[in-house]
Amino acid sequence: MSQSAEGVQIAKAGPRHGLVAADGRWITMGLGVATLLTLGLPLIVTALWSLMNPASGWFAPDILPPSLARAHWREALSDRTIPGAFLTSLLIGVCVTVLTAVLALPPAYALAKLPFRAKRAVELFVLAPLIVPGIIVAVGIGSLFFRLGLVYTIPGVILVQTIGTLPFMIRILAATIEGVPDDILHAARSLGAGPLQVARHILVPVAGPGFLAGGLLTFISSFEEFEKTFIIGAPFVQTLPVILWTYLGGRVIVFPTAAVVTFLLLAPMLLIFFLAERVLRDDVLAAGMGKV
Amino acid sequence: MTRLSVPMTAAILLLPGAGYLALLFGLPLVLAVLASFGVLTRGYDGGPTLAFYAELFGTRAYVDGLVFSTYLALVPTAVSLMISVPLAVLLAQSFPGRRLFTALNKVPLVVPGIVAAFIVMTLFDRGGTAARVLAPLGLDLPKLVRDDWAIGAVMATVWKTVPFMTLIVGGAMASINRDVVLAARTLGAGPVATFWQIQIPLALPGITAATLLSFIGGMGAFAVPNLLGPVYPLPLSVHMYVNAFERANWGLVAAMGTTLSAISCVVLLAYYRVTRGLRAAGGAR
Repeated sequence: MSQSAEGVQIAKAGPRHGLVAADGRWITMGLGVATLLTLGLPLIVTALWSLMNPASGWFAPDILPPSLARAHWREALSDRTIPGAFLTSLLIGVCVTVLTAVLALPPAYALAKLPFRAKRAVELFVLAPLIVPGIIVAVGIGSLFFRLGLVYTIPGVILVQTIGTLPFMIRILAATIEGVPDDILHAARSLGAGPLQVARHILVPVAGPGFLAGGLLTFISSFEEFEKTFIIGAPFVQTLPVILWTYLGGRVIVFPTAAVVTFLLLAPMLLIFFLAERVLRDDVLAAGMGKV
Repeated sequence: MTRLSVPMTAAILLLPGAGYLALLFGLPLVLAVLASFGVLTRGYDGGPTLAFYAELFGTRAYVDGLVFSTYLALVPTAVSLMISVPLAVLLAQSFPGRRLFTALNKVPLVVPGIVAAFIVMTLFDRGGTAARVLAPLGLDLPKLVRDDWAIGAVMATVWKTVPFMTLIVGGAMASINRDVVLAARTLGAGPVATFWQIQIPLALPGITAATLLSFIGGMGAFAVPNLLGPVYPLPLSVHMYVNAFERANWGLVAAMGTTLSAISCVVLLAYYRVTRGLRAAGGAR
């Protein structure tokens, strides 16, 4: 990239994109306060609810609970439902990720590297599940799954979640594979590698970070998916979001237990999110979600 | 080894993903559209009919539900836009801790909608934290959860949507050629003029894409309005659920699903029209 000397100087002297000319520290302070209010405060209140002492309660007008205890955590973790739901969510998440990856890789390659007619139409069709609300997908497939005996089963939930994760995965993989130079692929092919060998020895290693990002996003969206899981799986398949729903939507709202479930739901998400921050780049996320 | 022709190879490679979606997404959708007109409808064998649409548009609660679903699509999208576009510009500036804030801003992307609903409940429901903090100051919060205007549901949706929009709009803004922005500045445009006349128009494809996806998400919103919204009206998605699993009125359910999908499709077509216009304008420039 060639940039003139003046350009560089202006860039250094002026603001990056040119709206706020003032000291950057004001932005930091403003964003800091906003983040505390919208992210920090909710987390603290949720933590307090999960640690509330059932013996003393936490009633208005107390802003902070009078005393804390681990009772709700102990109760939630010793009761079989919640750890069971955690394992179910984990199992479904892993299966959805594997199934999505296997189904998405071949079409992603075709969309990225092969010239064929009606490519735009295929691209649109692949994205269509993003445009139809999840509840319609789930209710529509519900009557089909009824006949196949797949409602209220874990395989049924895996299959219905994959409808929602497949478009993102195809999108991300296609964008990643597009970046693999044609030369290496041709070289491998002309040196006698078959399609599977090309996939294993060239595509997966070279496009690795994109694959990892797509896989992690798929896992995240499966772990947090509610509507399709609820309609196809509940009440027999209980994932963490489904359990959380029962604590919040029933006649009695159970805040402390809901708070514990919230943390169990958030912990793996945030762990993946911050560990993989380098892989889950903004442009990968945007490619997966944004381009229609 | 015999070599397959390119279209043949493409077809074989497309089969797993596209076939899966055709079978589990396309087919049920087509069946739902047919069922809404009384063709192959479960629990109904009276031949083709418009009765289900007549029931949908003739029942006050369902029409109000459709209006409410549209409200839940429009209002959070508009509010999120007003926050996200300036936020995307702000996050593109250089300031201490930029990387940290960019990462923190994305956290709600991985937070389930139900958790967002739970947070709104603990903070803004009657007797929630916000009310307790404001009470000593003599301030009384209006009803924000299960209220007529669904403010709680809008808050939870906005909380989830802003990071998503900021990400996409920020990406669109980052791909604007820096030289164009700098040229505008050297030619004497102020920061505000540059924002309105250069950055916003060039980032419009990203902005419209984010708007579209947020709108469609709101149209089908189920969990958040169910937990935080008013008792009446209920969004059409909730009516769909109730009619499917409590009343087994599948024809009506299909008519509701078809109507919601049709609205999404109309919005999508409008989106393509707008972006094509933008692209044409970009080419002419």
